[in-house]
Amino acid sequence: MIETLGIAALERVEASGRFARFFARVVSTSASSCGRRATYPLVWNQMNIIGVRSVPVIMITGAFVGMTLAIQAYDQLAGMGLEERLGVLINISVVKELGPVLAAVMLAGRIGGALTAELGTMNVTEQIDAIKSMGTDPVGYLVAPRVLACLLLTPVLIVYADFMGIVGGAFISIVQLSINSSPYWSFSASGIELWDVSVGVIKGFFFGAAIAVISCYKGFTCRQGAQGVGQACTEAFVASFISILALNFAMGVISKAVYNTLWQPKVLI
Amino acid sequence: MSIAARQGGWGNADVKDQLKSDKAGSGRALIVLRNVTKRFIGKVVLDDICLEIEKGKTTVVIGPSGCGKTVLLKHLVVLLRPTSGEIYFDGMRIDTLPESELSRIRTRFGFLFQGGALFDSLSVADNIIFPIRQHCVINDWSKVDDLVRTKLAMVGLNGFQDYYPSSLSGGQRKRVALARAIALDPELILYDEPTTGLDPINADIINELIIKLEKELGVTSVAVTHDMKSAYKIADRIIMLNGGRIIADGDADHIRGHPDPAIQQFINGRIGTDDLTALRSSGVDRNGRLTAGGWKK
Repeated sequence: MIETLGIAALERVEASGRFARFFARVVSTSASSCGRRATYPLVWNQMNIIGVRSVPVIMITGAFVGMTLAIQAYDQLAGMGLEERLGVLINISVVKELGPVLAAVMLAGRIGGALTAELGTMNVTEQIDAIKSMGTDPVGYLVAPRVLACLLLTPVLIVYADFMGIVGGAFISIVQLSINSSPYWSFSASGIELWDVSVGVIKGFFFGAAIAVISCYKGFTCRQGAQGVGQACTEAFVASFISILALNFAMGVISKAVYNTLWQPKVLI
Repeated sequence: MSIAARQGGWGNADVKDQLKSDKAGSGRALIVLRNVTKRFIGKVVLDDICLEIEKGKTTVVIGPSGCGKTVLLKHLVVLLRPTSGEIYFDGMRIDTLPESELSRIRTRFGFLFQGGALFDSLSVADNIIFPIRQHCVINDWSKVDDLVRTKLAMVGLNGFQDYYPSSLSGGQRKRVALARAIALDPELILYDEPTTGLDPINADIINELIIKLEKELGVTSVAVTHDMKSAYKIADRIIMLNGGRIIADGDADHIRGHPDPAIQQFINGRIGTDDLTALRSSGVDRNGRLTAGGWKK
C-alpha cells in the first residue's frame, strides 16, 4: 500500500517536472520567436485556425450565457422590484466571470482537442522526430506559433463572448421581459467599470496560454496508437478545464485584492 | 578490416587515437559510438555498444524486432540520448550537446523514417523545401523549384510536386521522404526500415536508390532492416544486433557463412525447432481446453 502510494507520488512528481521543463522551454522559445520574422507566417496561420474559425461558436456561447442569466435572475430581482437593475447583474457576471470562463472552456474543447490530436498524430507518425532530424526545433516550429496565437487571440475572443453576452441579456430583458431599456442601460453603465472588463480580458491571456501549453504538451507526450492520441485529447481537455477554473479563482482573488487596495469596494444594488 | 565494432572496454585514449587516425584518413570513421547503453524504465535496450561507421560506405543493421535497431539509429542523430556512453560525429562529441547546437549538426544528416514521416498538411514540394526553408536564406525561388525538381527526379518522381502525401502510394511516400532527406545534401543518411511494407518491386527501387545515392553523392549510409534481400544488396557491412548487443559484424559473405545457429536462423528466416514444436503443440486439446504449448519467446 505504502509502496504503491510512493510509486504513484514519484510518478506525479516526475510528470510535474517534465511539464515544468516543457513549460519553461515553451516560454523561452516563444519569447525568442517573437523577434524572428520567420515565425510570423506560422503565427498568422494559427491565428486563422484558432481565432477566426472560433468566432461563431464563441459568439453563440456568449449570447446563450447572457440570455440564460436574464431568464434566471429576473424573477428574483422582480420580486424585490429591482428588475431594472437586471442589466448590472447580467453584464458584470458576463464580463468578469462567465464570458471569459465559458469562452475559454469552449476554446479548450475546440482548439485544445484539435491541437493535441494534431500534435499527437504527428508524434506517433514520427513527424516530430522528422522535424528534429532536419535540424529544426519542434517546440519553436510547432508549439511557439500555437501558444502565441492562443495567447493573443483568446482575449479578443473573450471580448466577442462578452459583447454577445451583453446583447443576448439585453435582448431577453428588454424584448422578452419588457424591462424599460433606458434604466436597464443606465444602471448597467453605472455598475460596470473599465476595471471589470479589463479583468475578464486579462484572464484571457492566462487561459489562452494554459490551453495551448497543456494541449501541446499532451500531444508531444502522447502514447503510441489511436488509443494513445484519444486519451491524450481527453487528458488535455480535463487538465485545461481544471486549469481554467483554478486560474479563474486565483485571478478573482488577486483582482479583488488589487481593486480593494486601490478603490473602495462597490455596492451594485 | 578497417571498420571495428567491438563489445566491451575501449579506453578514451583509444578513441582519441582512432579519431586522429580518422582525420588522417586511415580509419575514416564518421560516427563513433563508445560504450553506449540505453535503458527505458529498467529495460536495457542497448547494452554497451561500441561501433564505428565508416565514411562513404553503407552499413546495415539487422536483427529481430524489438532488439534495439531503431533505438540505435536514433542515437546516431541524437534523437535519443544514451543513458551512458559517448557518441562522436566527425570527431566531435555530440551526445552532450544542447539542442541548439545539435540542430546545426543535424543539417549534415538525412533521416528516412519507417513510415516516411511526411507532413500531411504540406505538398510534396513543400515537404522537400521544408529543411531548405528552415536553414537557407531564399532569394531566388526559381532555384528552389529547380532543386525540388532535381531531388524528385533523383527518386523518379518529378512531376509530383503538387501532390499531397495522402494521395501517394507507400512506395512513392518513401521516395518523397528520401528526396526530402537529401534536400540539404547530407553527408550521412539514416534509413529506418526502408523497404518494410513495400511490394518487392518498390522495395528494389528503394534499394537501387540507396546504392545510387552512395555512388553518385558519396554519402555514408546506415540502414536498419530485417529484409535480408535488401541488406545483402545494399550493404558494404552488416551488423547484427540481438538483445541490445552486437553479435555479428562483417560483410555479406561473412554474415552468410556465420557459424552461430541463431544468426543462420535469422538470416534464413527459419523458426527455431523448439518454437516450432511449441507452435504445433499449442491450441485446443481434445477436451476443448486451450493449451499454451511452451513458447520460448
